[in-house]
Amino acid sequence: MADVSQRRVETLGGLPPGRATAWVAWFMFFFLIAPSLIIIPMSFGDLNELYFPPRSLSLFLYREYFFESVWMETTFQSFKVAILSTLAGMFLGATAAYGIVRATFRGKKMLGALLLSPLFVPNIVIALGLYIYFARMGLQGTTFCLVLGHTLFVTPFVMVVVMAALRGVDPNLEAAAKTMGAGRIYTFRRVTLPLLRPAMVTGGLFAFLMSFDELVISFFLSGFGTQTLPVKMYDSIVLEISPVLSAISVLLTLLAFFVCVIITIFYNPDRRTKLRLAGKAATDTEPLEK
Amino acid sequence: MTRPNDSDSATPMVWLQDVTKHYGTVVALAEIDLEVRRSEFLTLLGPSGSGKTTILNLISGMVGPTAGRIWIDGQDITEMPPNKRGLGMVFQNYALMPHMTVFENIAFPLRVRKLESRVIRTKVAKVLELVRLPEVARRKPSELSGGQQQRIAIARCLVYNPAIILMDEPLGALDKKLREEMQLELKRLHASLDITALYVTHDQEEALTMSDRIVLLNNGRIEQMGTPDELYFHPRSPFSAEFLGDSNILGGTVEDSGPPVIVSTAVGQCRCTRDSGFAENGTPVKVMVRPENVFMLPPGNPDEHPNKFPARMVDTITFGGVIKSYLRLADGSSMVVQELTRAGQAIPEAGSEVYVAWSADDTILLPVEGRIETPSPPSR
Repeated sequence: MADVSQRRVETLGGLPPGRATAWVAWFMFFFLIAPSLIIIPMSFGDLNELYFPPRSLSLFLYREYFFESVWMETTFQSFKVAILSTLAGMFLGATAAYGIVRATFRGKKMLGALLLSPLFVPNIVIALGLYIYFARMGLQGTTFCLVLGHTLFVTPFVMVVVMAALRGVDPNLEAAAKTMGAGRIYTFRRVTLPLLRPAMVTGGLFAFLMSFDELVISFFLSGFGTQTLPVKMYDSIVLEISPVLSAISVLLTLLAFFVCVIITIFYNPDRRTKLRLAGKAATDTEPLEK
Repeated sequence: MTRPNDSDSATPMVWLQDVTKHYGTVVALAEIDLEVRRSEFLTLLGPSGSGKTTILNLISGMVGPTAGRIWIDGQDITEMPPNKRGLGMVFQNYALMPHMTVFENIAFPLRVRKLESRVIRTKVAKVLELVRLPEVARRKPSELSGGQQQRIAIARCLVYNPAIILMDEPLGALDKKLREEMQLELKRLHASLDITALYVTHDQEEALTMSDRIVLLNNGRIEQMGTPDELYFHPRSPFSAEFLGDSNILGGTVEDSGPPVIVSTAVGQCRCTRDSGFAENGTPVKVMVRPENVFMLPPGNPDEHPNKFPARMVDTITFGGVIKSYLRLADGSSMVVQELTRAGQAIPEAGSEVYVAWSADDTILLPVEGRIETPSPPSR
C-alpha cells in the first residue's frame, strides 16, 4: 500500500511528503475535528447539564430526544422541508444548468451569474428579504414558504454540480442520438440524464444537507408549528441550554458523515475505473487490437 | 427508414441547392451547389475552416442554412428536424454512449424505432459480424481500443440501414497503420452494402484512396470537384495542385499559346503539350509539375528535353519506398524530385550540380489566381 502511494506521487514528479509534513497535517486535522469529537462523550452524559467530561455515562439525552414530541416534530419538519426543497432544487438546478450549458442565446452569461447569485448573497440578506416578501403576502410561517426559501438557497448548489458534469458530457452524444432518430425528450431521458445521474445524486445530497442544517432562513421564515430542527436547537440554546443538544449534534454529524460517504462513493471516478477494469479482465477473451 | 429502391436513380441522394451559411459575420459557405449521387463515396476535402464540417452539419440538420435549400432523395428537408431525416453519422470521437454496453449502443437506433427485442438481437448480432467484432457485445465502449470503438460506431450506423452515412473525420483519432486498415474496411463495407457515403477529411491521401469523387473546398467555396484522378492529374487551380499531392510551381508568362504552349520563366522556357484552354500570349501563369514526374540527369548530359534546367542538390531524404531530393534552380526557386528507391542507387551529393527534367505532357499550366472555369479534360 505504502509503495503504491509512493509510486503515484513519483509519477506526478514530486517527492513523497516527509514525516514533519505528515505530523502537521494530522495536527491540523485533529484541531479541526476536535470540537465535533468532544460532543460525542458529552452526548452520553447524564442529567440536565452540559459538562465535559461527563460524570456518568447513559443514553438519557438520546432518550430525551427520541421521546420528546417537540424534537421529533421539528425533526420531521426538517426532513419534510429538506426533501421537498431538494427535489425542487434538483429539478430547477438541473434544467437551468442544461439551458445555461447547452443553449446559445444573448445574455446567457448574465443569466447564469444571476441564477448562481444566491451563493454569494449573505444568507441573512436573503432571509430578511424573503421574510418581508412572504409577510406581505401573508405566507410567512408556513411550510410552503420555508420550502420556497430553501429551494432558492439550494438550487445554485445543484446547478453548479450539474453544470460541471454537463460540460463533461460530449454534445456529440446528443447529436448522435438525434441523427439516429431520437427526439429531444428521448435523448434527454436515455442519454443526457443517465450521464448526469452521479452529479444529480451528489448535488441532491448536498442540497439535502444544506437545507437540513440551514438556520438563518428557517429562523426568519418559520413560525409556530413549522419550526425546523436547527431553529428549535437555536431556541433551546438561547432559552434553556438543554443538554439534549449534544445528542442531537452527534446525530446530525452522523447524518452528514453518511451523506459524505455516499457522495464519495458516487463521485469517485478512480474506483469506478477499477471496477470496470476488473470487469474487463473477467470478460476479456480476445486480446485488444492495440 | 429503408432505402427506396424504386425511386429514380437520376435523382441525387443529396442536393445542396445554392446553400449559404453565415456564422455572425463569418461566411462558412458561400452559395454551394453540391450533388451527392446515389451509392457513391463522396469526400469533402479541405483545410480546417473550409466549410466541410458545416456541410455535414447542414445535411444532418444540426444547423440550418442562411440561404438555399437542402434536398435528400428528391425531398426538401431544409426545415426537417435532425431526428426525422433518417441519416447515419459517424463522429471523429465515435460518440458512443459511455453508459451503455456495445449491444445497447448498437440497439439504440432500433429501440428508437420501437423494434421487437427479438429483431433487435438478430440485427445487432448480424452487424457485429459485419464489422468483425462479434465478441464484444457485452463490453462498455471504454473497454475497447480506438479502432474497435470506431467499428462499433460504424456498426451502430449500419444497423438501421440509413440511406446516407455522414462521416466526420472518422479515422482522425487513429494511428497511421490502423487508419489505413480502417480505410480499406470502410471501402469494403461501402462496396458490399451499396450505401451513399459522405466523408469529411483534411487528409488528401485518405481522400485519394477512398473516394469515388472528391469535392475540394477552400474558404467556403468549391475549389474543384471530380474523381481522385481528375483532381490529381488535372488540378484547375494552384490551390488544388498544392492541396492534393506535392507540387513544384514556377511562375512565368505565356510566350506562345502553342501547341505546345511555351512559357518563359526565370530559369528558361517550359513546354506544355496539354490543352490548357486559357493560356493566351502574354498571360501570367503558373507552371506545375509533380515531384514524381521530374527526373534528374547527371551534369554534362547532352540529351534534349522539352523541360531541362540546371539545378543544385540541397538535400535528400529517404521515405522508405521513395527518395525525395530537394534542389534549387538557378533563380533560387526550389524543386522536389521524388524517385523510387532501389538498392545501391547512386544519389548525387549535396551541393553537386545536376539537371532536372520532365516531359511536356507532365507540365500543367495554372492561372496565377482563381481557377480554370472550363471543365478539365476527362480522365483516362
